[in-house]
Amino acid sequence: MPVPILHQGRLLIASVPPTATDRDLRELQDDLAEQVGRIGARGVIIDVSVLDILDSFATRVLETVGQVSHLRGATTVIVGIQPDVALAMVQLGVTLDAVATALDLEGGLALLHEQRSAASR
Amino acid sequence: MTDTKANHRLDAQDVRRDLATYWAVHDRVNDAVRDSVRAELRGDPALRPIVDAAPGDGQASERLRALAARAVEDGDWDPYLRELRSQGATYARMGLAFADWFRVTTAYRRHVVPHLIEAYGHDREQLAAAMRGKGTFFDLALQAIGDSYLAVREDTIGKQSAALAELSTPVLQIRPGLLLMPIVGVVDTGRSRHLTEALLHAIRDRRARVVVMDITGVPEVDSEVANRIVQAAEAARLMGVVPILTGISAGVAQTLVALGVDLKGLRTIGDLQSGIREGDRVLGVRVVWDRHGPMEETADADGVDAFTGMVER
Repeated sequence: MPVPILHQGRLLIASVPPTATDRDLRELQDDLAEQVGRIGARGVIIDVSVLDILDSFATRVLETVGQVSHLRGATTVIVGIQPDVALAMVQLGVTLDAVATALDLEGGLALLHEQRSAASR
Repeated sequence: MTDTKANHRLDAQDVRRDLATYWAVHDRVNDAVRDSVRAELRGDPALRPIVDAAPGDGQASERLRALAARAVEDGDWDPYLRELRSQGATYARMGLAFADWFRVTTAYRRHVVPHLIEAYGHDREQLAAAMRGKGTFFDLALQAIGDSYLAVREDTIGKQSAALAELSTPVLQIRPGLLLMPIVGVVDTGRSRHLTEALLHAIRDRRARVVVMDITGVPEVDSEVANRIVQAAEAARLMGVVPILTGISAGVAQTLVALGVDLKGLRTIGDLQSGIREGDRVLGVRVVWDRHGPMEETADADGVDAFTGMVER
């Protein structure tokens, strides 16, 4: 079941459901790559707040989305990593170095604006 | 309770016969023995509650006596052992020292001997049986009460540890978006786990953007402790927070360098005050953003949001 992607202006928002399979994640990666180019997106927000786990496969997908989007002119923010998920990730040594994170959607939007204004100075 | 019965061989016929031989006298002379024990221990008021609780006096004592009789006569030990444990737990919670129990039962054992000799002195077999029975009877009681004391102590320690962990990991909000976590004392595995969880939940609940972790109160930092702190900071970063480590003394700084600890880009600042200033600076961008309303700071000139395309007031 493909992960739905919302589109608002130059912003793409995807909310990953707990039922998403590895294949769904790969498709999301492809879909986002395509849509970023098509609408000329400047920001991508991926919401993982309903996920209980973020394994190494999922984090690789998220990092790839970040790198690909960046190449096509958009900044990516992962929002909503829950306390237990964050804890498990650091304990297992799973990292999300290549992409920004924020607490929630509002925080994600704020971060996008910060980075944009920082870049324009 | 099966252990107790097995340990003292309560199901064996000879043990039961010995107990019965002893009990016949104990039950009869209990009041007298209690009085002579009281007389001997009169000087110590701390022991009164224990002496008074002995079988033969008062409701609890009467209950115990009745259960003991059933145990010895009918071989039904469980109710008696349960009652012993229950009373033991009560005395433990009341704060009576276990050592005091020991003193009282020792006195009992001594004071009952003349009565045994009087009853069975003419028959060495019977006297020996009664003495063995006496040993079993009091050993049983002490073991049951001892077990209860241990259980109550362990329970108290558990509760105190939990309370201490709570007390020792407060997460304080200095201003919206800025949390301060003063870490004081020894950071072992258990505590660091608790610490990290408390921090991450506070980040979510208070919607923090910066967290200042102050280690002024941590006496020693080895590579284990340093790694745990770095881990907590990494987890906070995954939640979108900028972690700042403050309170690093000269000694701790030298230790960290000597150990070659990888702080993974964790921002470190000498003292707490500077750390909070730095936190304000990080938030500074956001604070301006908040005061003037969302997105105005970075909106396009024509007042349209650069990302959502929505027009802002």
